Amino acid sequence: MRILLVEDDPDLGPAIAQALRQENCAVDLVEDGVDAAHLGDTERYDAAVLDLGMPGKDGVTILKEWRAAGRDLPVLILTARDGWSDKVAGFKAGADDFLTKPFRIEELTMRLRALVRRAAGHAATRIECGPLAYETQTGQFELDGLPVRLTALEWRVLSALMLSKEAVIERLDLLERVYEGDADVESNSLEVIVGRLRKKVGAALIETIRGRGYRLTAGGAA
Amino acid sequence: MLTLSALATLVALLIAGVSIAGVLGRIVTMGIDRRLDAQLTLIASAVGRDGEIDRGRLRSVQPLLDAGPGWRWRIDAPGGSIGSDDLPVAAPTPPGPRRPERGPGQGPGPGALNGRDRSGDQLHARQVTVETGAGQVVLTAAAPRDVITQPVRSALAPLLATLALLGAVLGMAAVVQIRLGLRPVRRLRAAVGAIRRGDARAVDSDQPAELRPLAEELNALVRENDAALATARASAANLAHALKTPVATLGLELAGDPRRAQVDRIDTTIRHHLARAKAATASTRAATPLAPAIAELATTIARLRGERGVAMRSAVAADLVVAVDPADLDELAGNLIDNAARHARASVSIEAQREGRLVRLVITDDGPGIPAADRARATAPGVRLDERSDGHGFGLAISRDLAELHGGTLSLEDAPGGGLRATVTLPHAHRDDKPV
Repeated sequence: MRILLVEDDPDLGPAIAQALRQENCAVDLVEDGVDAAHLGDTERYDAAVLDLGMPGKDGVTILKEWRAAGRDLPVLILTARDGWSDKVAGFKAGADDFLTKPFRIEELTMRLRALVRRAAGHAATRIECGPLAYETQTGQFELDGLPVRLTALEWRVLSALMLSKEAVIERLDLLERVYEGDADVESNSLEVIVGRLRKKVGAALIETIRGRGYRLTAGGAA
Repeated sequence: MLTLSALATLVALLIAGVSIAGVLGRIVTMGIDRRLDAQLTLIASAVGRDGEIDRGRLRSVQPLLDAGPGWRWRIDAPGGSIGSDDLPVAAPTPPGPRRPERGPGQGPGPGALNGRDRSGDQLHARQVTVETGAGQVVLTAAAPRDVITQPVRSALAPLLATLALLGAVLGMAAVVQIRLGLRPVRRLRAAVGAIRRGDARAVDSDQPAELRPLAEELNALVRENDAALATARASAANLAHALKTPVATLGLELAGDPRRAQVDRIDTTIRHHLARAKAATASTRAATPLAPAIAELATTIARLRGERGVAMRSAVAADLVVAVDPADLDELAGNLIDNAARHARASVSIEAQREGRLVRLVITDDGPGIPAADRARATAPGVRLDERSDGHGFGLAISRDLAELHGGTLSLEDAPGGGLRATVTLPHAHRDDKPV
């Protein structure tokens, strides 16, 4: 799960980024509205966390531009403005959720996971694929009812596969959702991660589609 | 104003009446005086240079002297008196320098002499003293005073009637003039009322020349007031932003730490007081259509509380317009709808209809409701936050403050099927009265 975090406060931005990374998310933090608009236009994110008052470009303006350009990534507005008029304006501009400062990091991550889940077309909070289950409210994976311990990179890959279960995810697509924008990515690192995941959840669950990417499927386990 | 004008008219008419009566009396008196002086000239012609009275001459002028009942004359000569002896007696001349001697007929002219005759009737007399060889001859001619007062009195009746009519006409004219003259002021007052109710943003500057500066001043005042209000709200919002971001950072850094509770208290306090500050500066001049505001709030809250799966039903007539600032209306109704959505089991219903000059907005949920004993506390202003552990936050108190600030009310009661029913009344904005 890769998040675009747009927050101009020099203390709060890194603090949120740090907290989200502890929840296994890949986070690109930008402090300027113009950069934020550009990244949202050109990079692939699972969701964006958008502050409203920012130098360069206002959050609502950025959001409206994204929506006008057909960018449908889930956007959570995170702001100190807690008036109902601000919330209404945020949703009218195309926001998917609205959280006011101060907030609990658990609430932010839970809401982000819910946004990404809904964007992937899952109504239920628990997603299952064969013996594997993903509880989106807590972010926990279970195999045959037992919790699975995952590294951050493993979690990102597995959650992306789980949300698109029974469908092929392009390799490049997966890479973009797993690594932060400034990360050094080895050419075979994704294969390494998938290999480790197969050991943890069972090789049959994750299919390699040659020349394209990967697929999480319950059918392969049978 | 009108009373003062009527009083002034009455006084003016009284003065006019008195002075006209006086002038009338003087004119009549002058006419009578001329007749009496003519009689004096006639009887003087019967007095010879030597003081002898020519009785033959008197007899021949007698018919001319007989002007009517009560008219009389008298000659007092050293040799004896002739004529009526019933005449007022001249007051003794105060001692002083004697007038210079003059020849007969060359005297200082007749003088007035008023008094009563023996029967008590008032007389108006003229008297002249003629010097003759034998000494002073005093000639007196008198007429009853009635001949003066009678014509004055008979002229006074129509005069007074005319004056009364004039007074009535002047009074009516004053009323009409004041009403016409004050009509632009009344229009201006209505325009200011429209601004206060939120039906208009400014006073029409198309005013009579005398009122135009006032209209311009009023508009400047309204603009300044709006600007001050906007500044106050902006600084409240800025303060919120400035405080909340560091509090959020602190909260993240203290995640999992027991001291985090203190950060939560800071946050709650900031929210509470900012919301109260916003409510206290709320603008009361506005006209906001209710239906779109409620629809947007319901959509927003349905998304924010989407995971609860609460159904929202809304029945708000499209033509309702409330005299509440749009942001205040969002805050007021948003808190109530959010509270309902947070506590509802399955559904929230929002209804609004017009009741005379008010709009009644009813928000009902099917949640656990608030026990009657706690209801007053849930919306009581100034209750300490930590005393309010019912989970309803301070949103209800803010809603009540905002409703009351705009001349409305908020009441909480049990919904028929359990749950909470919040009823807000708000003044309807009278757009139809707007002078456009």
